[in-house]
Amino acid sequence: MPRGRSWRSIRQEVAAPALSRKGRKRRHLGWLKAAGVIVFVAAGAWGGHELARSWADRPALASAANKSRLAAPVLITDGVITTDWLGRQLALPPSATLMSLDLVELRERVLAHGQVKVAVLARDFPDTLVVTLQERTPVARVRVQDGGGLRQLLVARDGTVYEGVNYSRELLGSLPWLDGLALRRQGDGYAPVAGMEAVAALLATGQTEATWLYRDWQVVSLARLAAHDEIVVRMAGGPEVVFTRRQDFYKQVARLDFILEEARQRVGAAPVRVNLALGQHAAVAFDRPARELAAAEAPSTSFRLQPSEKRASRDLFQ
Amino acid sequence: MISSSSRLIGAVEIGTSKTVVLAGEVTRGRSLNIVGVGVAPSRGVMKGEVVDYKAACEAAHHALEMAEHRAGARLEEVWLAQTGGHLDGFYNEAAVNVKSADNTVTAMDIATVCELAKEKELPPGRSRIHEIRRPFRLDGRAVPDPEHLTGGRLEVGYWIVHGQENKVSDNIHVIGGYHLEVRELVLASLASGSLLTTAEERTHGALVLDIGKGITDYVLYRDGSVVAAGTLPVGGDHVTNDLAIGLRITTAQAEALKLRHGRATPQTRDKSDKVWLNGEMTFGDRQIPRVAIEAIASARIAELLEVVKRKLAPKFAAEHCGAGVVLTGGTSKLPGIEEAAARVFGLPSRRGEAPGWVKEELQDPSYSTVLGVFQFGLRNSHDQVLPVRRKGGLLSSLGRIFA
Repeated sequence: MPRGRSWRSIRQEVAAPALSRKGRKRRHLGWLKAAGVIVFVAAGAWGGHELARSWADRPALASAANKSRLAAPVLITDGVITTDWLGRQLALPPSATLMSLDLVELRERVLAHGQVKVAVLARDFPDTLVVTLQERTPVARVRVQDGGGLRQLLVARDGTVYEGVNYSRELLGSLPWLDGLALRRQGDGYAPVAGMEAVAALLATGQTEATWLYRDWQVVSLARLAAHDEIVVRMAGGPEVVFTRRQDFYKQVARLDFILEEARQRVGAAPVRVNLALGQHAAVAFDRPARELAAAEAPSTSFRLQPSEKRASRDLFQ
Repeated sequence: MISSSSRLIGAVEIGTSKTVVLAGEVTRGRSLNIVGVGVAPSRGVMKGEVVDYKAACEAAHHALEMAEHRAGARLEEVWLAQTGGHLDGFYNEAAVNVKSADNTVTAMDIATVCELAKEKELPPGRSRIHEIRRPFRLDGRAVPDPEHLTGGRLEVGYWIVHGQENKVSDNIHVIGGYHLEVRELVLASLASGSLLTTAEERTHGALVLDIGKGITDYVLYRDGSVVAAGTLPVGGDHVTNDLAIGLRITTAQAEALKLRHGRATPQTRDKSDKVWLNGEMTFGDRQIPRVAIEAIASARIAELLEVVKRKLAPKFAAEHCGAGVVLTGGTSKLPGIEEAAARVFGLPSRRGEAPGWVKEELQDPSYSTVLGVFQFGLRNSHDQVLPVRRKGGLLSSLGRIFA
């Protein structure tokens, strides 16, 4: 016998147009919340799946890493070091497995060479060692006499002295020699050279701003650096130039260029020594007596740099 | 912050004069903490029935939003107070012979008699709101639980409240328009009665009248059970309308006069005692005899109470109503209404007072119904009035997120 409908059988959902603005806002918030929950649950499920998979794979990988013979190490570097050098440096025994490697010790071995600045060693299961290196870049070279005879070593920007590996002959030939420094032994190598930051900055300025001058910079002397803040550069077939690290190297190089150019064009004499460490003045010594130069026309007080390097003359002499 | 073991439920009353929402944090289905209140003047509602959906939604949603804002959380479901002149009720009884050989009442006997008592067809277009069971009678004696007792004939009666389906659904859709679900529908009179009477008073017999602006909800208790409950489409508006017609003033002026000078029992005898209509001494203001105001208001209130008495006539008997008449609702604030009720029903009358656990700011009669909705819902959620609901599991918790 029918009893009649209960109020519970009344359909409660209302059509979208019957929802008020506040109702629609509530509904959208509900959807947003639901979407958030779905994303959260999905992310959790995915994370759980990945975790379970890694746990399942771990024993198999560990077992393989303990049994498989090591493959050739993989090298990733920003410099010139090769896999052969790395192999020699690591000196891994032929029977080694990936899990038997002592990564800390191997890293020490790699870092023992001054050319390597940063080394990261990682196991790539099941049988590969991945070595990632960051190398030092040489800025000058130095000749030393030790038990191994007369050797050429390289000096990096941070003062590290090391024996370069795999550098091209052209690169090495373009580096100036260092002079006037006393190298101290430290372990199997030498202690870093003090003041190389300033020297590297001067060389970088010459190399990038006045290539035509830098080409002739043959020897860089650090003899007066510690005491007088002066760097003396001997140019091939040219003058000896005194720079000071108290002033901007860019301005000093520009003044040197101007002096050499003026001397060539107007004075017609070759400078043998140019001292740029005298503040706003520069002392220039020529290869001829002063009276022969007296007749020469006085140089202009202003000059121009190359178009790309135009700067106001006052800036350069400040 | 609402804890994970609790639900934030909104008790809503869409009244003729205002919509009231209370946000309550219900923990483990038992303890209640009121955390938000929202009140908005109703629009689009006449005699407790929605006549303008958009206007009603605007007011109700404003109140809902206000309650949510004060609670600092989103409501999860709504318990709605249902009222309106379309509501009606009837009493239906059934009896079965106890089937077991030793005349012991079994659960099956109880289920059968209950089903039979509820099996009465409603007129087309009507929906059941409540099925309120009265005590069982075993061989003529009243018993709360007859299972395992011995007897030959088991009887039970149900007070079945029903309403016009489209009007009930209009109310539900106003809540649906806020993207909320109505989980319980509680007759407003039962809600008010549940709050304003004690179990002892209900046992002694009590009549609760919730006189609102457009309607009057009533519930009559005897022996701790509901004997009759319903709604009449008369309320404070009738007083206002008669004042407007009788004194030839606007409805707004009549409402203001009623609130300022109205009385449910005449007190003034001096015909020269007059009050200003607007009280502002402006053009058009005039003086009206206080006697006239009181005479009209008291006549209408007496008439309203008589209508209720007539409606209850077969079931109401003063000697079975020891706890007297309890009055609530906005119109119950009218001075002298207790005396008027006492005169009509021949019983002691009082204004209903909310129990001590209700905060001071919610003691006003306008909150009686929504507070009662909570109390009735919590008290009866595992009882016979509201159907047993499944416990919320993980799926239902997830479902609530999508609500």
